[in-house]
Amino acid sequence: MTMFDRRFLEHFDWWLFLAILLLMAIGFVNLNSGSAATGYPFQWKQLQWYIAGTVLMLSLVVFFDYRLLTVYSVHIYLIMVFMLILVVFIGKTVGGSQRWLSLGFMNIQPSELAKIATVIILSSYFYHDDRPQYGLTDLWRPFLLMLVPIFLIYHQPDLGTALFLVLIFASLVYMARLQWTSFLLLLGTAIATFPVVWEFLKPYQRGRIMDFISPGRDPLGAGYHISQSKIAIGSGQLLGKGYMKGSQAHLNFLPEVHTDFAFSIWAEEWGWVGAVILLGIFFLMLYRGFLIASQSKERFGAFLAFGVTAMLFWQVVINIGMVMGLMPVVGIPLPLVSYGGSSVFTTLIGAGLLLNVGSRRFMFQKGPRPK
Amino acid sequence: MKFKVKTIWRVKRFDKLDQEANKRRCDVAILIMFLFVVTFCARLWHLQIIQGKHFREQSERNRIRSVRLQPPRGKILDRTGRLLAGIKPCFNVCLVREDVGDMEALLAKLSPLLGETEAEIRPRLGSEQKGPQYVPIVIKRGADWETLSRIESRLFSLPGVFIEVTPARKYPYGSIAPHLLGYLGEISREDIEKERYKGARSGDMVGKCGVEERFENDLAGIKGQRRLEVDAGGRLVRVIDEKPPVPGKDLYLSIDLDLQQASEEAMKGYVGALVALDPQTGRILALVSSPAFDPDAFATGINNEEWKALNDPVSRPLQNKALQGRYAPASTFKIVMAAAALQEGIVTKNTSFKCTSQFRLGRSVFRCWNWRGHGQTNLYKALVESCDIYFYQVGLKLGIDKIAKYADAFGLGSKTGIDLPNESKGFIATPDWKLERYQEPWQEGETLITAIGQGFTLVTPLQMACLTAAVANGGTLYSPIYLEKITGPDGHIVKSFESIPKDKLPVSESNLRIIRKALVGAVNDKKATGKQCKMPDVLVAGKTGTAQVVGQAKRRQDDKLDWKYRDHAWFVAYAPAEKPELAVAVLCEHAGHGGSVAAPVARKVFETWFQIQSPLPVLGHGKTAFNRNNIDDHV
Repeated sequence: MTMFDRRFLEHFDWWLFLAILLLMAIGFVNLNSGSAATGYPFQWKQLQWYIAGTVLMLSLVVFFDYRLLTVYSVHIYLIMVFMLILVVFIGKTVGGSQRWLSLGFMNIQPSELAKIATVIILSSYFYHDDRPQYGLTDLWRPFLLMLVPIFLIYHQPDLGTALFLVLIFASLVYMARLQWTSFLLLLGTAIATFPVVWEFLKPYQRGRIMDFISPGRDPLGAGYHISQSKIAIGSGQLLGKGYMKGSQAHLNFLPEVHTDFAFSIWAEEWGWVGAVILLGIFFLMLYRGFLIASQSKERFGAFLAFGVTAMLFWQVVINIGMVMGLMPVVGIPLPLVSYGGSSVFTTLIGAGLLLNVGSRRFMFQKGPRPK
Repeated sequence: MKFKVKTIWRVKRFDKLDQEANKRRCDVAILIMFLFVVTFCARLWHLQIIQGKHFREQSERNRIRSVRLQPPRGKILDRTGRLLAGIKPCFNVCLVREDVGDMEALLAKLSPLLGETEAEIRPRLGSEQKGPQYVPIVIKRGADWETLSRIESRLFSLPGVFIEVTPARKYPYGSIAPHLLGYLGEISREDIEKERYKGARSGDMVGKCGVEERFENDLAGIKGQRRLEVDAGGRLVRVIDEKPPVPGKDLYLSIDLDLQQASEEAMKGYVGALVALDPQTGRILALVSSPAFDPDAFATGINNEEWKALNDPVSRPLQNKALQGRYAPASTFKIVMAAAALQEGIVTKNTSFKCTSQFRLGRSVFRCWNWRGHGQTNLYKALVESCDIYFYQVGLKLGIDKIAKYADAFGLGSKTGIDLPNESKGFIATPDWKLERYQEPWQEGETLITAIGQGFTLVTPLQMACLTAAVANGGTLYSPIYLEKITGPDGHIVKSFESIPKDKLPVSESNLRIIRKALVGAVNDKKATGKQCKMPDVLVAGKTGTAQVVGQAKRRQDDKLDWKYRDHAWFVAYAPAEKPELAVAVLCEHAGHGGSVAAPVARKVFETWFQIQSPLPVLGHGKTAFNRNNIDDHV
């Protein structure tokens, strides 16, 4: 570190870093209220993840060059698949699905880590397989790569995360430029196969989609969660009910206030103003993320930054959309605000990679393109 | 920091075109993201600002459970303050359907605990009719101690079930005057929909008929409310606030418990009605409709058989016959006829007609009840011996219009004005009415039978009691009242009830005196029809009546006659004749002669009354309180 390049600091994205710190601060404050509601001291554990994750993030920025991933992505991919297979055999079952690996001191959720691993392997693939445009025939290999984790995660079962990986894939295919004809073909196929997919869905999964279409269908069934979440958010009104005073959350009308419905308790206690501020911070984070992708001087960095940002973006959209009743109930955590070590690590690793790509773009500013 | 340049570091840089394409893609992504954020802000605005109030209310409703606090229902007491209807706790097994989960499993568990089959319980669960799922419904009212302890001990395995304590009526002297008091029953759906009672909801007990219904708002008190904060599991977090209930007001009736009990006892075995009034004020001292019903039965629920018995078309236990029973007044109507005849100058007290037991009108023959005939009969004798022929003559001379006019003036054919619902008006026939109803002109023969209280005329026992009281008190017709006062729970008088003079009889004092004297004779004379009501110490005045239910021909053999063809027995009386304290009207359906059936009933009532007034015999043996030889002085 003695030979630290000043340009590195100049290009470090302080706005992105600030957004991440703010999100963690909000996450902690919010979890403090959520913990009081659930009776478990989640916030202290989450603080440990934050600290450990931030250290990991900064180490990634400083001691690691993202370009190494062009080679090691394969190893990461294999480790991910291995962990997902482990889950099948020795995974812990919680709430009807087998998602967790117990490491003794902590439980990790490989499907969370699979998100970032997917971004890395796909970025690496598209970096190596550089084409101006992709047709369907060019995509079957990366699709096969994706199919393994998707199948394993779907098997847990965790349809939400499995579909989420498809979204990441789609985002990176967008980045790689898909032929229009292929796009239309894919779209048509998706629409055509929907009834078949519907047949394969589990009853509770169909129920969730039905609840999304008509939330009042069964107020005490699965739609109950969304109804209560909307009541929580709506009852916050302009300025909120006050910190620690959200009755929906604190009297347990709101389910999973520490994870999936963290945004609801925030909106209930801080009102429209608080919710918009939180959205603004997310916007800042994602904007800086896309900017890093946009300013990257080379293909891998651009794909990696775009993939990570898209990953964060879809999580934000799906989670907040769900708690506001704009999307079906899918268990996708809100980055850094929801409780969960695996999610925090995934997000902070992603953020580390973003900062990494951003800080290192000066390395391509001069000189000829290496051959 | 210097990197050794290995192949892996030599990543391909974008050329200019790629760089621009890359930027375009990211710009589009930023735009899409921006649109999402704007959409979300708008959605939040919609939820939190536009619908915010609605959701805030919903969250409050989530959070707050209101528990109603039942006030104790007001007591009903007799005029001396003896408790006729008090309150006792009633334990109900209730259910909140929202909290049940598996209703079938619960039913299977509840059925043996309640000792009832599932099929019996199921209809009580209702459907949407019972209102929203969170409103408790009563599945067993008035559960006994054994059932309660069985359920209480298993409450943890019966989700949604709880035991509620509500006030129910207790009758320390047994059921007293159920027709006047009324009873408590579950509020009807119609009453809820029409919001007849403020704050009432399904399952509440409200007064049905009688005093309980008429003064529901006074008796019920005002419900209190305790607001609780609960969590999603319905567990109590804290009590937010509490508004205590206001107890109901107490009602002091003018009923005298002893007299009422004696009257009910005297009427036992008869289908009919008895009304006893204070003739000076119009206060009802006893009101009996027989047979009675058990007001407790309505509180716990009635099975099909009991319901059938209550609606028996012959004895009609639910009907308040004193107010709603309509009967021909028979010979008691002769009081009205006599007054009309005297007042209209058709007869004096000395005018006499000869009764040969038969009266010819055109081709028809009208008979007197006494087949031997009464011989020369003046007004006194006509009333004492209840001569029909005399009143045929009077009737003919008066004409139907005058008869109707006087009947109306004596309060017949219109409501007495007692403050109870469903009072019957009775009926007074006129030629106009007959023409309209039957398109036939009035016949003179009909005037004759109207004159002896048969025919179309219908009266209620209460009307006859008021009429008797008016004759007794010198001509004031009162609207009967049954309430002395209403007091608050602390005993202060909220409202006291004064007597309501309704009308004055259009009969002069001297004419009334003639009639009163004859009424004394009608009880006390040797040939009096009402002599079974004669009392040794008290001078009773009265008039019998025997209302035919079917025509003369069928009446011949009384003993073999079907019950439903037998005569109604009437007796109206007051005592003491010199200073009336009590006026009584008795009607026994299909029981026979007024003199032999109704008069003894009235006598028992008088006996009880004067026993209450002076419980110790103050008169020496052989002495009477009045001089029978000089009745004029007393009447």
